[in-house]
Amino acid sequence: MSALELETPVLHRPGTLAEVCALLAELDQPMVYGGGTAVQILLKQGVLFASDLVDIARVPGLDRIEETAEGLRVGAMVTLRRMETDPVVRRLAPLAAQVYARVANPRVRNTASVGGNLAHGDYRLDPPTALLALDARVELTSAGGTRLVPVREFFTGFQQTALAEGELVTAVQIPTQPSRAAAFAKLSSLSVNDWPCASAAALLVPTGRRRERWELRMGLGALAAKPEYLSLEVPGGAALDEVLEAAQRAADQVIDPIPDVRGGVEFKRRLGLVAVRDAVRAAWDLAVQPTAGSTRGSVPESAREEDSDVQRTSQRRWWRGR
Amino acid sequence: MSTGIELTVNGVRQRVNVGDDDLLLEVLRRIGHTSVREGCGVGACGACTVLADGRSVSSCLARAVRYDGVPLTTADGLPEDDDVVEEFVAAAAMQCGYCIPGFVLMGHELLAENPAPSRAEIAAHLEGNICRCGTYQEICAAIEATAQRRQAARQRRSA
Amino acid sequence: MFSGLHSGAGGAVGERWARTDARAKVRGELRYAADQPLRPCLDVVLHRATRPHALLESVDVEDALAVDGVVAVVTGAQLYERFGDALMTGPAFSDQPCLAVGKVRYVGEPVAAVIARGLVPARAAAERVLVDYAELDAVHDVDAAAAGGPYVHEELRPSTVFGDLKHLRGKRDTNVNYEYKLRRGDVAAAGHDAVERGGVTVREEFWCPPTHHVPIELPFTAAWRDGDRLEILSTTQTPSYVRLAVADLLGIPLNAVRVRSAPLGGSFGAKMYDRLEPLAAALAWSQKLPVRILASREEAFLLTTRHGAAVTGSMTADAEGRIVAASADVRYDTGAYADVGPRITAKSGMVAAGPYRVDNVEVRSRCIYTNKPSAGPFRGFGVPQVTWSHESLVDELARESGVDPAEFRRRNLLREGDVSAVGTPMHSADFVGCLDAVTEAVGWDTPLERVDGRLRRGRGVAVGIKAVLTPTISNAVLQLNQDSSATLLISTVDMGQGSDTIMAQIAAEALCLGEGQVRVVTADTDVTPYDTITAGSRSTYHTGNAVRRAAEAMRDKLLELAAERFGVPATDVKLTGDGLVSAQTQERVSVPELLHGHFGARGTTLTTEANFTTSWVPYDHETGQSERVTEHWFAGAVAAQLTVDTETGRVHVEHLAVAGDVGRAINPTLVEQQLTGAAIMGIGHALFDQLVFDEGQIVNGTLLDYQLPSVLDLPDKITPIIVESPHRTGPYGAKGVGETTIIPLAPAIANAVRDAIGIRFPRLPLTPERILTALADQEASK
Repeated sequence: MSALELETPVLHRPGTLAEVCALLAELDQPMVYGGGTAVQILLKQGVLFASDLVDIARVPGLDRIEETAEGLRVGAMVTLRRMETDPVVRRLAPLAAQVYARVANPRVRNTASVGGNLAHGDYRLDPPTALLALDARVELTSAGGTRLVPVREFFTGFQQTALAEGELVTAVQIPTQPSRAAAFAKLSSLSVNDWPCASAAALLVPTGRRRERWELRMGLGALAAKPEYLSLEVPGGAALDEVLEAAQRAADQVIDPIPDVRGGVEFKRRLGLVAVRDAVRAAWDLAVQPTAGSTRGSVPESAREEDSDVQRTSQRRWWRGR
Repeated sequence: MSTGIELTVNGVRQRVNVGDDDLLLEVLRRIGHTSVREGCGVGACGACTVLADGRSVSSCLARAVRYDGVPLTTADGLPEDDDVVEEFVAAAAMQCGYCIPGFVLMGHELLAENPAPSRAEIAAHLEGNICRCGTYQEICAAIEATAQRRQAARQRRSA
Repeated sequence: MFSGLHSGAGGAVGERWARTDARAKVRGELRYAADQPLRPCLDVVLHRATRPHALLESVDVEDALAVDGVVAVVTGAQLYERFGDALMTGPAFSDQPCLAVGKVRYVGEPVAAVIARGLVPARAAAERVLVDYAELDAVHDVDAAAAGGPYVHEELRPSTVFGDLKHLRGKRDTNVNYEYKLRRGDVAAAGHDAVERGGVTVREEFWCPPTHHVPIELPFTAAWRDGDRLEILSTTQTPSYVRLAVADLLGIPLNAVRVRSAPLGGSFGAKMYDRLEPLAAALAWSQKLPVRILASREEAFLLTTRHGAAVTGSMTADAEGRIVAASADVRYDTGAYADVGPRITAKSGMVAAGPYRVDNVEVRSRCIYTNKPSAGPFRGFGVPQVTWSHESLVDELARESGVDPAEFRRRNLLREGDVSAVGTPMHSADFVGCLDAVTEAVGWDTPLERVDGRLRRGRGVAVGIKAVLTPTISNAVLQLNQDSSATLLISTVDMGQGSDTIMAQIAAEALCLGEGQVRVVTADTDVTPYDTITAGSRSTYHTGNAVRRAAEAMRDKLLELAAERFGVPATDVKLTGDGLVSAQTQERVSVPELLHGHFGARGTTLTTEANFTTSWVPYDHETGQSERVTEHWFAGAVAAQLTVDTETGRVHVEHLAVAGDVGRAINPTLVEQQLTGAAIMGIGHALFDQLVFDEGQIVNGTLLDYQLPSVLDLPDKITPIIVESPHRTGPYGAKGVGETTIIPLAPAIANAVRDAIGIRFPRLPLTPERILTALADQEASK
């Protein structure tokens, strides 16, 4: 029955990036099939509209994590779980490792890909919060070549991204985390492991000629139609309460929650501000902790292990036991 | 489209014809591995867990064509003297039992990565598996007991 | 206390035997219904209604039939033509067709069934069924439905099974399909009097939302014709009921229907009475095709739910802290079909005043149709909803009276021999023992660090009461094999509660058999005898009693055979673990030798059978009173210590102590698992678990959105406590336990939250949003 076949997207399994790009260029309504977790769910729910699925699992090189001059280059097919466990990621971008470890559950993280997670463009996802704070860039490739889009410009609206027709995410470039003062807070409103209802990543970066000031960078998840980024300058001598106040005021400007079964607008706004305060407080604690100067590749233990989520403190430290 | 793939389940290799859309869950059940079960269809309950190359996967969201040649483990294929299984039985870590094979495989994955997990680490690894009967405490105790048993065995060997 | 309770002395009862299927479950080798080898079946996929309330103008199946692989597309009109009014089934009201006839009453109601070779064409075809609706006004709110139209059913259709519903037949222009009334004393006068003399009255409007059972195993039914018989394999807790329902539907004798069950992957009330079975039976019978229906998770949410319930409750205490009056107006939202809602309405109405000595009680409990998926039985059978009311009220009453909430309850709880509000005396229901146990476990009287940064800490307690389903019937057939192994035939379904193990232990006790010697046959109506239902925590007591009687009859037979062999009176022979022995002659014989000698062959069987039936005195329709409304009572208590995060509104339970009076624990491990498992399910109900509807449409009907407690939602510590006050007619004193701790769970949590932050929440669940909003209001009103 031909009508039936039309409904099921045709699967393509090309072996090279060039073939992928060619398929994306020529097919009617293609969709990239990465880890496949989100696509399969949408297919089952009958809300995925695509004529063809282009599976990129066979393309060599997309599953590599490379150390570069600026930091990391992470292939689109690297799984979320590798971001969580890979020693290079944990050394160069511990905030990213910490945040990737918080997505869904281990099975999803074993399958879902870094590229697919971004391309999905869901406003609730955890990883964008860290990538925004870390100023990552997304590599987009098409038959016409490759371009780099700052992740801060990648999310353009509700489930919308800067991906153009014929393009796919091929990698994410993450600069080396410039400071150990980073933290992530994720709050759910139903069961503990529910989708996030509010999440915030915070990173304090020393600035100024004598590094006398801080730049506070924040990525927010689940609090607006898309992941949101904001940053503010913090004077060196500021007290924590002042920093929290400023962060909260800034966040309040961008928080614009979508009401759903997890809560209404006012509740989500309130919870969002708590996530912001929790993340900033935890990052600040690390920033003011006296330690030897933090240089590339020597982020102290505490930065990796701190997790400000009040519900799950200590539950994500499985590597400590080794 | 239908493709012939080589499925390696619990060490046994076999040629299987699968459609492009066929889910690993359906294919494994078709060839008799009914320990792999659907519970939610969206990767949220863990009843369909299998290990692929030692890593846990929700087979209800996995296309079978992707697992050509990948060594797969299902609970029904674990060795007769499997230590995780034995500790689950000893700890009475089951009620209706429907979800338990998934927990057993998650336990295997965790212990392979982290031989001495804390209670909190065990819980973090199991967060995506639902036991509606509420057997969580027994399940965690069984995984802990397996870790201790392996630890004791290591000590015996090194002594 | 009761002679003969411990007479078995067989070393089985009270032991922590491993489940008979433990290893098979862990390895995944146990076969649930959908895992069983089956003859090739066609797949059935349903086209479902997209309107909450509408007339079916036309159902066009032409395009669906054109899909390759489709064998048939069946509509409700076709089935009605074939089966007539018999198509309407249900345990209390014959109001539900397996495919809509003429009208749909909820979003998701099956309208047409596609039968196809494989799920892919079946699903594609189901989408191609075209339905024209003429929309009717829908009613979603239970109180609006009680107040008047639109009416979900034109007239009430009580089933013929229950004589006491006869007076409702044909009643029109109402959505209230049943009303239970309880009257004792004079609530108004007693309340007024007490308040005059320095007493206190509290009242509140409570709400429990609809929820879902979500057993992880999905519902599955296969059915096929075998000549003039119909065979069914199904995920059901009620094989005997299904056999009757299907025989009635098809108009064939009971022995022409064979219903097999399988071990269930959880159920909690979801897989009983009419689920997929009437549809599978009607399709297989009328189309002469072997069919199977596997519900998806999304469909499982539509098959049955737990009743949402509104309760307007009040309680009055006198100046001495005695509860003198209690009232409850309970409205159960039963959705589009009554299912067993009327029973739930009555059974929970009986205990709506709580487990207290109260002389003046007034309860009105109503079961009300709305345009939602049907609500049915759920672990607790409606009682958690009324307990939410009385345990919140008692707590407030204690606080208003200036008495510690645990102590206040202790003063008022029913004790052995007291007469409950329904007029039935109490026995084997140690509420005080349960309350004492849980409060001691959490250190109720020790100081509490109330403020901990942004956390506020509190403790709460609640007590629960429920009456066991009465009257009911159980049967057991026991075969003692010549090698002294035993085969037990019962229709109780093991769905995780461990009934196969419990029944094996009860049988083993009387016969001095060991672990692993008794095999329980999975329910099969061709083989296993009638049993009312596996539900309502009734199996250990009822089926257990039938099993005990069958085993004791078997023991007596063995004694007679041995007496014959020894040439001594039967009273002289004793059965021991090593066989039979004469006290007089010291002669011994093993069971295998005895049976071999008796029959002259090996491999033979000796058979006994027993029935256990309970009786009641029907409650008065005006007052609800009955001197014997139930065979026995369940008693339980929960105490919780928890923190409330005042920034996030999140509740974290630090210690949960749960106790149930089980009469006697046949297997303490399994009892503890029931106590703990029900408590964990209850945590979900207390904090986040609920079905959300928007204009009759389920909003969170997938497990991505419908949240269940995971390992991360566990309390830091759970203490299950077995309280044993043996029941005089329980098997070895035992009663059931499956529901005991879910009943007072949510109010115990809410009472602890009240203790922590000073706010009473009348609506479940206690989500962070509710708590944070209330905290902000509290702050604003300071």
